[in-house]
Amino acid sequence: MTRRSLVLASTPFVLALAFFANISLGPGSISPAGAIGALFHMEADSYEGAVVLYQRLPRALIAIYVGATMAVSGAVLQGLVRNPLASPSTLGMNAGATVFVVAGAYLFDFGMTAQGMAALVGALFGFFACVAIARLAGGSADPRGLALILSGALVSILFIGIANAFLLSDPARRMDFLGWVTGNINHVYGDRLYAFWWIGAAALVLLAALSRSLTLILLGHEKAASAGVRVDLVSNLAIGATVLASGSAVAICGPIGFVGLVVPHILRPLVGSNLSALLPACMVTGASVCLFADLCARAAFHPYVLHTGVLMDLLGGLVFIVIVRRFYLSGSARGLA
Amino acid sequence: MLKVSNITAGYGRLVVLHALSANFARGRVTAFVGPNGCGKSTLLKAIMGFMPISGGEILLEGQPIRLIGRKALARRIAYLPQECQCPDYMTLGELIELAGYSRYSLVGGPSARDRQLFAEILDLVGLADKAGCQVNSLSGGQRQRAWIAMVLAQEADVILMDEPVNHLDMKYQYAVLGLVRELSARHGKTVIVVLHDLNLASAFADDVVMLRDGKVVAAGPAQETMTAANVERAFDFEADIFSRDGRVVCLPRMSHAEAVAA
Repeated sequence: MTRRSLVLASTPFVLALAFFANISLGPGSISPAGAIGALFHMEADSYEGAVVLYQRLPRALIAIYVGATMAVSGAVLQGLVRNPLASPSTLGMNAGATVFVVAGAYLFDFGMTAQGMAALVGALFGFFACVAIARLAGGSADPRGLALILSGALVSILFIGIANAFLLSDPARRMDFLGWVTGNINHVYGDRLYAFWWIGAAALVLLAALSRSLTLILLGHEKAASAGVRVDLVSNLAIGATVLASGSAVAICGPIGFVGLVVPHILRPLVGSNLSALLPACMVTGASVCLFADLCARAAFHPYVLHTGVLMDLLGGLVFIVIVRRFYLSGSARGLA
Repeated sequence: MLKVSNITAGYGRLVVLHALSANFARGRVTAFVGPNGCGKSTLLKAIMGFMPISGGEILLEGQPIRLIGRKALARRIAYLPQECQCPDYMTLGELIELAGYSRYSLVGGPSARDRQLFAEILDLVGLADKAGCQVNSLSGGQRQRAWIAMVLAQEADVILMDEPVNHLDMKYQYAVLGLVRELSARHGKTVIVVLHDLNLASAFADDVVMLRDGKVVAAGPAQETMTAANVERAFDFEADIFSRDGRVVCLPRMSHAEAVAA
């Protein structure tokens, strides 16, 4: 057994560990054993059972959904736009989804389902806005490198600013969105997960089916096409799938960055850049990272509960610097910029 | 096998190929030579359908190539671009496995026969023990042979190569082109190769086509096309042509080289 397959085989165990840790650890009088017992019992006939089933389990499932969809989207986007800094949060998708949800709720009183659709449209709009600005600024039809990431940052600042302006305009409703807008893995969004989970699942299945074609695209468009890949079709389908995945994740619990950017970078040296192996690894490990982060956000600052999205942004900022240093400021990798 | 008739192609307003025609017979190696920007690479891209053709037709065994789908084309024509990039952490074994893409089903992978073929090809290019190595950790010569292995693993009858021996030292230039030539002779592969070096072209190609400004200056067996007059017409450059053991060798005139340098 090679080291790579060993790592790949161990990721589900890490996920299981993260899941049970997330479920069983936490403030209050519930013992880890009791929490896990309640999980298997599956009936809310006690205080423990109610807390585990109606609070911790939805939270954990949301963390799994967000981590899996964001990490897979990040890995796919980094390959497609050939940029190590690409992810749903750096290419404007998360911010686009956020502003569309907030605008929809404030201007048109969108309900949950309509907000979900708004998030998907917003994620697509955010990505197009990012590419359009990069094209304008870079004067190139196929923008890559820092221009794309900078315009993603610009788009995100603009959209989040607009979203904040909406929030400030109506103090009475601000509380509904204040947590959500910073990325909040919270059991109150369980019904959103229940409504939207299939969107991300469908996107992940599509990306899994495309994984070999996407790996060939990593070798360059002409090489991929000459091997038999319909590059434009596959690229468009894959971007569509990442929009669905990240948009639906934002619809559930707001924009959560970091996972999509970093998890692929952690895994590539361990399982390789072949997406047939990298995508499953990202899916499982992204979920684990989100479960652990959620646990940290809840437990580390006890009795305060930090929003997972805020914690992730703090960590993500640090890792962003490392990646910029490694890929853009080191002499050997200048070609990427 | 492959027939290019009267094709005109270019980038936007810039017309690179002017009504160019060429015929490639099965089992022959054809080398395209010519100065920078003469349209050698553009011709390969046009055959692969990577750029629109504004006139003329490309036929693969009588069938217009534009009507052949990507996967079906990949089973018949393999292409090695001038610059290849491999993502970090990808192993040689993974790279060569991707070559069989057009033969795999959506969920299936390489068959036992495919795996045996990949092992044979790696052996052929002298990289049998490197399958587990990362492509980007190989030396320049090994990496180029890896890409050539990938092209061979596609199992196409027609192979297009855009300057496959750039960045290689003399030994590997001869080894790689010798391998290509042997494959063509033994398995009847039709090879079209873009080269910079006239002497490599004359040593390894059955036919040499000299291009200038998107037009054919001369085409045919190396002994016939590689004349001092043709070289000067194609390259604007004076050279002496020698023949030795049936091989033609082109030697640029130093006086002319000095004049260009000055």
